[in-house]
Amino acid sequence: MNREVTLRQITFMYLFISISTLLRQVPQALAMEAGRSGYLSPIISIVATVPLTAIVIFLIKSFPGLNFYEIMVQLIGTFLSKIIILFYLLWLLLVTTAKVTAYSLTLEFTLMPRTRSDFFMTVMIVLVFYALLRGIKTIFRFSELTLGTILILFAILFVCAVSRLRTDYLLPISTVNLSRTIMASKHVVAVGGNIIIALFFADKFGIAITKSQFHKLWFGSLIFTGLAFVITFFTFGISGTSLTANLPFPFYITVKSISFFNIFERFEVLITLICILSDYIAIAIFAVLLFRCLGWLFHLDQCEYLCIPMAVIIFYLTYYISSTQFEFNFLYRVLIVNLNLIFEYAIPFFIAFLCLIMRKKIKSNINKQY
Amino acid sequence: MIYVFGFTIIYTLIRQKDKLLRSKKNLIIYLLLSMIGIAMGIVYLINPYLPSISQVIEQYME
Repeated sequence: MNREVTLRQITFMYLFISISTLLRQVPQALAMEAGRSGYLSPIISIVATVPLTAIVIFLIKSFPGLNFYEIMVQLIGTFLSKIIILFYLLWLLLVTTAKVTAYSLTLEFTLMPRTRSDFFMTVMIVLVFYALLRGIKTIFRFSELTLGTILILFAILFVCAVSRLRTDYLLPISTVNLSRTIMASKHVVAVGGNIIIALFFADKFGIAITKSQFHKLWFGSLIFTGLAFVITFFTFGISGTSLTANLPFPFYITVKSISFFNIFERFEVLITLICILSDYIAIAIFAVLLFRCLGWLFHLDQCEYLCIPMAVIIFYLTYYISSTQFEFNFLYRVLIVNLNLIFEYAIPFFIAFLCLIMRKKIKSNINKQY
Repeated sequence: MIYVFGFTIIYTLIRQKDKLLRSKKNLIIYLLLSMIGIAMGIVYLINPYLPSISQVIEQYME
């Protein structure tokens, strides 16, 4: 069957859009909140990411061929679904704007400190506009094509970095910090929740989905946890907790000290490139989700003509959400992480709970329809 | 940038007029979102040093 999007592509996309946040914000946030034992938080995050993956699979299995909005309509009715979608729209607007801000701050911090942020944002808007013109298949295939190379590069980087690890930065860890380590895992959980994009595209998978396709989501969830752990472990092990907590992009500084058998150096440029590619795809996919939400909210068939007004709103919103790196870090830690937990966990858990209660009624409705 | 965005909005309006005029809803949403964007741009042009959302939250939390 020729499906527009497959679960394999969703898994690749999930991992690809999570990379930039894992590299940039997660190590710093974990170091600030959990201290030395922060590198264990990604392992604890499994407690939340695995149930979320199970819920995504459960909802797709319960409502084959329906997307997130249509599932909500079946469970809570059109009016409440539209209210929830309106909140999702606002959240996506904030998340997309935050991604654009993070991307321009990354470029200012790493490669081009003298260039103004509006130049970076304009370039990104043009590139995303081009990607949207080509369609979602192109965006998904780009992530499918690039992720493998990025994972191989990470593997080489981490092999080269083993000799630089300092055990005194990683050990000893105490059970006294256990509660802080558990609480800090919310920063990893907030990124791992990106897997709900599968629900937004669930109507494009087709009606018959095999078990092996669902296994890809589990595989993606495990790879995500592994990647989060390895990135945090090496950042903590090479740069130390206090430096990691006080730098805006600690992994970038960590990679500066890594060389490939003293032959190749300056891998940090590649890390910046990976972050920018990840941000680019994340902004493009969040823009697609924004247009899907707009379409569901106002019953619009096509939303391409709304690209320019949305681009204007996002461009100026970047100036209103934060003006410096410190303000952005604060906004991310205080607002975005908590909002992510609500929209990526609380609402899907609530919908799955309703689905569990109303299962018999829904099954009889579906049987009547077909 | 506001002039570039203003020009692009008018250009899109002319280019996509068939789709936009097909139903009132499309046109209203397009104009509403454009006006929100342009209004945000004008406010930023008038006072670029307005306190950001992050700053407001920080002050509120203190």
